[in-house]
Amino acid sequence: MRRRAGKVARVIALGIVVVWSLFPIYWALKTSLSTNVAAQSTPVQWWPGHLNFTAYQALFGAGPESQDAAGGIARSLINITVEATGATILTLVVSVLGAYAFARLHFRLKGALFYAVIATLMLPVYATLIPLYRIMADLRLVDTYAGIILVYTSGFIPLAMWIMYNVFMALPRAIEEAAFIDGASTMQAFRKVVLPTARPGIAATAIVTFLFGWSQFIFPLVLSSSSSTQPLTVLLAAIDSRDVPYTIINAAAIVAVAIPAVIVFFLNRWIVTGITAGSVK
Amino acid sequence: MNTPTGPLSSGPAPSAALRRRRPRRDGALPYALVAPLVVFIGALAIYPTVLTIIEAFFHSDPLTPPNHFVGLGNFSALFENAEVRHSMENTAWYALFGVVLTVAFGTGIALLLQRPFRGRGVLLAIVILPWALPGVVEGVIWSWIYNPTFGVLDSVLKSAHLIGQYQLFIGSHQIETILLIALVQAWQITPLAALLVLAATQAIPDELYESARVDGANWYQHITRITLPLARPAIAIAAAEALVMSINIFDQVYVLNAAATTGSSLMSQTYFITFQDLNFGQGYAISLFATVATILLSLLILKVVYRKVEFS
Repeated sequence: MRRRAGKVARVIALGIVVVWSLFPIYWALKTSLSTNVAAQSTPVQWWPGHLNFTAYQALFGAGPESQDAAGGIARSLINITVEATGATILTLVVSVLGAYAFARLHFRLKGALFYAVIATLMLPVYATLIPLYRIMADLRLVDTYAGIILVYTSGFIPLAMWIMYNVFMALPRAIEEAAFIDGASTMQAFRKVVLPTARPGIAATAIVTFLFGWSQFIFPLVLSSSSSTQPLTVLLAAIDSRDVPYTIINAAAIVAVAIPAVIVFFLNRWIVTGITAGSVK
Repeated sequence: MNTPTGPLSSGPAPSAALRRRRPRRDGALPYALVAPLVVFIGALAIYPTVLTIIEAFFHSDPLTPPNHFVGLGNFSALFENAEVRHSMENTAWYALFGVVLTVAFGTGIALLLQRPFRGRGVLLAIVILPWALPGVVEGVIWSWIYNPTFGVLDSVLKSAHLIGQYQLFIGSHQIETILLIALVQAWQITPLAALLVLAATQAIPDELYESARVDGANWYQHITRITLPLARPAIAIAAAEALVMSINIFDQVYVLNAAATTGSSLMSQTYFITFQDLNFGQGYAISLFATVATILLSLLILKVVYRKVEFS
């Protein structure tokens, strides 16, 4: 009897967790698929009823409201994809190479350099926001993909390096030593043996880094002065502060949710690996 | 030719005995591998931080040049500014709510997911989802939930007869505004706390629970006597991360509160003072203050909550 009650309580608690995690997203989705009138009914309608795609049509430039509402969402989608992907690739290359050197090779100043990189993990956004803006302004990289990707990369490297360092430290040295006996150089062993073995860790780092890139807001808010580089996040905040119908704002939010949601749904195993490898220890 | 260190090693390969006596060096290769990392961190993390530290003591305002040294002038101006003081107080509330909500929800979820059951994998994916979404998007989604005219929160509270008529949640009352914005951030960062604590609980040996069961312990004692003490290091890390993120809260505040002072955070003040009022000197001063506070407080949390745990 007590066990039964315990089980029921567990199921209820799990139900609350699911509602807590999903309801806000469901609500935005439902609003985006409603008509403006249905979205603003009081008390609220819990289901969308007749599905209505006019908000999405308006957003992507086909419909009467598209003029003021859309404001270049297609362009901002391209921008956010270029910036998040570019920063992910650059972050991976830089941090995988560096992490391998720290994990396996011997060189002077290794300890000092390693701790300098790890210490920057503790730096909050405050420490670098204004100077990074001024550095990018001096380099004439404000409102360019290059400027944004460089700034993102500098922010993502410490965590990516730390995750990859733990990944390499967990790999058995025997695999490289076997390659050395076969006459491979350090770089050959790295390319042919270490990288393939570390692939799950690299995938985890890539996915977590990409999601960070997709979420950026304050840096592009400061660094992108025009729609040519503004990512979806900055555009969404801009639409939100204008007098645009709620259905369209929610549709734009759902567009921004879609990519991370697909990644979480199919690749959540890697995210768990990445987060736990980066934080515990 | 085919020496283990390959073409990059200079001179003859050292003998095995020599290698054992002193640490092996790998020539120029390691420097080539860490060079890009060091350049990035040096130029775009450490150098900017040093600039923040220096510039916080200078008057730097593109509108009223020239720049000159003002000592603690920026800081005293900061503490005399009522809006900045207000945002410091708000940020303390954000930090308090952020840490408490995130650690409580995260630990609760971890305890629910501790034992394997059918569908746990799917549930984990659902739990992670809010963490993967941009803070701005979450602010937009929740602003619709909190909407004073058509919002679902008002609708539910009115149907439950908890409020007589629809009301304004964000912007009318300071603590209420902060709590509701902190809740949005907690929605985003709870999954991180849950994953950290969950990973720690997975490392607890089953024998501990079995012997406790033999001694007649109930589920409550299992949690308070075994799980929570042994997950304590992970809870400390989750609390420190929540603290850092809530002191840095910006996206949610920007969307839900805009430039209003009711729920302004230190970060939103920094943004508006620096990039709208163009008062860079004061922006740097807040930044330095917040950086030092963030680092000191997170070290403090780790020191107080973190305890090393040994199994066996």
